[in-house]
Amino acid sequence: MHQIPLRLVLGLAALLGSAVLSGAQSGPDPMRALRNEVQISAADPMVALRAPAATETEGPAPNPEFGNLPDAAGAEETYYQCTACHSTAIILQQRVTDARWDDLWTWMVEKQGMFDPEPAEKEVIMTYLKAHFSSER
Amino acid sequence: MSDLPDHAVAPIDTDQPPGNSRRAFLRGTSLSAFGALLGMTIPFERNLPAGIIPVALAQDTGTDLMSGKTGLTIMSDRPLNAETPAHLLDDDITPYERMFVRLNGLVPQSALDGNAEGWTLTVDGEVETPLSLTLEDLKAQFETVTKVLWVECGGNGRAFFQPGSSGNQWTMGGVGCPEWTGVRLADVLKAAGVKPSAVYTGHYGNDVHLSGDAEKQTISRGAPIEKALEEDAIIAWAMNGEPIPALHGFPLRLVVPGYPGSVSQKYLTRIWVRDQVHDGEKMTGYSYRLPAYPVAPGTEVPEEDMVIMTVMPVKSLITFPETGTEVPSGAATEVRGHAWCGKGDVAAVHVSTDFGATWQEAELLAPPNSFAWQRWRANVTLPQAGYYEVWARATDADGISQPPVSPGWNPRGYGNNLQHRIALVAT
Repeated sequence: MHQIPLRLVLGLAALLGSAVLSGAQSGPDPMRALRNEVQISAADPMVALRAPAATETEGPAPNPEFGNLPDAAGAEETYYQCTACHSTAIILQQRVTDARWDDLWTWMVEKQGMFDPEPAEKEVIMTYLKAHFSSER
Repeated sequence: MSDLPDHAVAPIDTDQPPGNSRRAFLRGTSLSAFGALLGMTIPFERNLPAGIIPVALAQDTGTDLMSGKTGLTIMSDRPLNAETPAHLLDDDITPYERMFVRLNGLVPQSALDGNAEGWTLTVDGEVETPLSLTLEDLKAQFETVTKVLWVECGGNGRAFFQPGSSGNQWTMGGVGCPEWTGVRLADVLKAAGVKPSAVYTGHYGNDVHLSGDAEKQTISRGAPIEKALEEDAIIAWAMNGEPIPALHGFPLRLVVPGYPGSVSQKYLTRIWVRDQVHDGEKMTGYSYRLPAYPVAPGTEVPEEDMVIMTVMPVKSLITFPETGTEVPSGAATEVRGHAWCGKGDVAAVHVSTDFGATWQEAELLAPPNSFAWQRWRANVTLPQAGYYEVWARATDADGISQPPVSPGWNPRGYGNNLQHRIALVAT
């Protein structure tokens, strides 16, 4: 099976994605979503219809010490903040917009009883989540 | 994700779930000893709200019970969420081992122990006579009914939305159709005497909140009183002729067909008839809500413009053969699956083997009862060797069909009823 270089496709997807979300002059184009050919599998055509999870793309290696979160600055803080309630499995599935991450944080603090850390700590965690589990980059 | 052997449970490499033995050991232990118990330090122990026992020690996630399931893909271990690959959903009545698992919190101890002693269901609020019913009362005072009813997670298909939306990334397998036994919800509500002021039901269960906070509701959703008074919804104590398993709501649950699965409260303890739209946990904000108007993918929709998701859209699955199967060219090959719709019966199913260019109508059977999924089958002949896709498209009684791509994007990724496709390789 012919493989498009992953880095090229991801770069392109990121470029196109940010254009959609920032409302750049090209405007929204629903055909863009159909170009997401990072993981074409002859065994299951549904795979082509979904964007890959962060864990399925290039990036920092998973760190088993922190529930397989990508090994980068903020992983430790994120691990201990989040796993007070849920495992990292749900984090590893996400690829959402920055605005959704902001809303999720507020929801967890206000509705789900999550500990609200110092602003600096929150910043580290949110920066980490938005960097590694994003639909925007 | 979907290429697991049939007998396997997908491995996950996150933090380890607790075993039962730890809970007993915990009793009488102070908060400061948690680190020692876990065999590791808890650097952010200060994050734990006062009096809250870390979940890793406090309550079983139910993960151990997954050994009774076969071939499911675990998406999350705490809370436990697992979906069923399409080819394992071929049974007309979904057996326990193939029934998807969707938990918002942790499995309650009563369910883990299979202990229904002293269980009561309270029916109160906007009723003439509040009721407190034991399981024996329910069985003795109301007509017992057995129905085949599908249950589908409102977020089934979320994985196909772009940009993504938060939550478990269900593909196609957050659906199942077991046989349920219980009493009609409407009969119980009528026995209590629904007042004219009744607007909505509010459902409560005893599952444990992820934070371990006993004061917090894990999930409490409901239905418009008109829906609750229809004859279809049941309060069930049995699934496939057995007491409802721990992962599916032991000892009592609602099955409110046609609506998102979250309305079908598990571990049911109370039905509060409300004089307003229920505002329990996950009724408000973005949970189980859709934008009131069409939005571009990725749009931030103000909370006040989100409306409650009710009727699930028409949908179908191809359950045979498994995607990627080799079949002979030039000969008839049977493909089959199920179709269902939140409004009731499905009117037609069509299949295409040429990427949607042409469609042929499949044979569609009537359901054994309303809101059971319907068997469809078709014979397709692939003209020459090579790669084909089978696409399936169900149409409801109003002529509304499944789209070939994801329908209207929404912030939390609900209601994605895009057509299911499988690959067939003709030889």
